[in-house]
Amino acid sequence: MAKPAVIVVGADKGGVGKTTVSRTVLDYFSANNVPTRAFDTEAPRGTLKRFHPEITEIVDMTATADQMKIFDTLNTVSPSVTVIDVRAGLLSPALASLRDIGFLDAAKAGQITFAVFHILGPSIASLEEIAETANFMNGAKYFLVKNFINNTSFFEWDQSTYNSYFHRIKDATELTIPKLNEMAYEQVEVASVPFLKFVANKGTRDEAANYSFVLRGYVRHWLANVWSEFDRIKLTDIVGSKVAVRGGEK
Amino acid sequence: MPATVIYIICSPRPQVGKTLLARLLTEFLLLKNGAVLAFDLNVREPSLLDYLPNVTETAEIDDTFGKMQLMDRIIADDGVAKVIDLGFHVFDEFFKMSEEIGFLKEAARRNVRPIVLFAADTDRVSARGHQTLVSQIPPSRLIVVDNEYVVRGELPEAFAMGRLLRISALPVFLKTYMDRLTFSFTDYLRHEKDSSAELHQWIRRSYFSFRELELSLILQSS
Repeated sequence: MAKPAVIVVGADKGGVGKTTVSRTVLDYFSANNVPTRAFDTEAPRGTLKRFHPEITEIVDMTATADQMKIFDTLNTVSPSVTVIDVRAGLLSPALASLRDIGFLDAAKAGQITFAVFHILGPSIASLEEIAETANFMNGAKYFLVKNFINNTSFFEWDQSTYNSYFHRIKDATELTIPKLNEMAYEQVEVASVPFLKFVANKGTRDEAANYSFVLRGYVRHWLANVWSEFDRIKLTDIVGSKVAVRGGEK
Repeated sequence: MPATVIYIICSPRPQVGKTLLARLLTEFLLLKNGAVLAFDLNVREPSLLDYLPNVTETAEIDDTFGKMQLMDRIIADDGVAKVIDLGFHVFDEFFKMSEEIGFLKEAARRNVRPIVLFAADTDRVSARGHQTLVSQIPPSRLIVVDNEYVVRGELPEAFAMGRLLRISALPVFLKTYMDRLTFSFTDYLRHEKDSSAELHQWIRRSYFSFRELELSLILQSS
C-alpha cells in the first residue's frame, strides 16, 4: 500500500475560504484519479460533507474516538490520501493534538506524508498564526494560501513583516487562489455540488442539470487557474500518487 | 442538422457601420429564413432596436446577470440565426468574457456557429482589436468588413490577410435616405421598380455577399 498522506486545511478565522480550498483539493484529486477520503470537523453542520458527501465524514477532532477513526486507519484503509478540513481557529490546537499522538514524529520519520494548507486572512492575526504553526512543521510540507475569493486585500501587510513570518517555516510555499465571480460561487453553493460537477452541468446524483453556461464557464476558468497552482507545487507527487489521465473539467 | 449561426458584428471603434451592417444582415436573414433574432448592445441612437423593433432585443453585459441573459440565450441551438450588434464600448469586455467562459468551445459542443464580422478602421485601436480577435477566433470564423465609406482607400495589410467582406460606399444623399427609421432594405428591393438604381444594386450586392458567406459556411461544415 502507498505511504499514507494527510493534508490538513486550516485557518485562524472563519470566512477566509478554507472549505472552498478543501473542495478544490478534493476536485483536483478526483480529476487526477487519486482516491481520497475527507474529514469535516465543522460538526455538526459539515459544509464540506454537503459538497462531497460520498467521501466525507464529519468528525470532532477533539474527541479521542474520532481521532482514532482518522489516524488509526491511515495505514490500513484505502484510499491512502486523507484531507482534513479543520474548523476555523483550531489549526494550532489540531496540530498540537497531532504532535501529542506522535503523528508529527511519524511524519518527520518519513512514515507519513504530511502537508498543511494554511489559509490566510487579511489581518495580522493570520501572520501570528504562522508563527504558532511553525513549531509543528518539522518534517511537513507547509503551504501558505492567499485566497482572493472573498476579495481579501493582502496589501495591508507590510511586506517585510510578512516575509519575516513567512521565512520562519523552512521550505514554505505560497499559493494564490484567484477570485471567482460572486454569482458563479453563489450558484455552486445553491446547487450543492462539487465545482467539477457544476462545470460538467451535473446535479447531485449525476443527473443532467441546467446551470448557466456563463457561470459554468467562469467556474471552469477559475478552477483551471487554481489547479495550475496545484500542478505547480506537484500536489499529486507530494501525496505519492501516479497521475492517470486527468478526467473532468470538460 | 445545420448549425445555428450567430453573427457578431463588432469593432472597438464607433461610427464604422456596425449598425448598418447589422440592419442589412438581419433583414437578409429575415427574408431568407423567415425568422431571425437580433441583439442590440449599442448605446448610440438610432440603434438596431429603432430600425427593427420586431426582431430585436436590447442586451447589456455590464454585470454577470446581463451576461447570463445574453449568452445563455444565444448558445441555444434553436435553428434561428442571430445577429449581435456589439457596441464599441463593450468590445473588450465581450471578447474577454467569451474567452474566459469558453464560448467558442461550448458553441461547437451545441451545434452553434459564431461568426465574427469585424468592421475595420484604419487606426491603431482597430488594429489592436483585430489582433485580439485573431488570437481567439479561428480564421474561418473571422471576417473583416471593408466598408469603403469608412476605410476610404486601401485596407491595412494586417486586415487583408484573412477573409473579407466588402461594402461599397454610397453617395451621401442615399446614405441619408437609408438612415431613416422607416427605411427597409427588403421593402425597397420589393417596391423599387428600377433595378438599375444605385441603391437597388447596392442592396442586392450586399445580400449576395451574405449569401456567398452562408454558402462558404455550409461548404466548410460539410
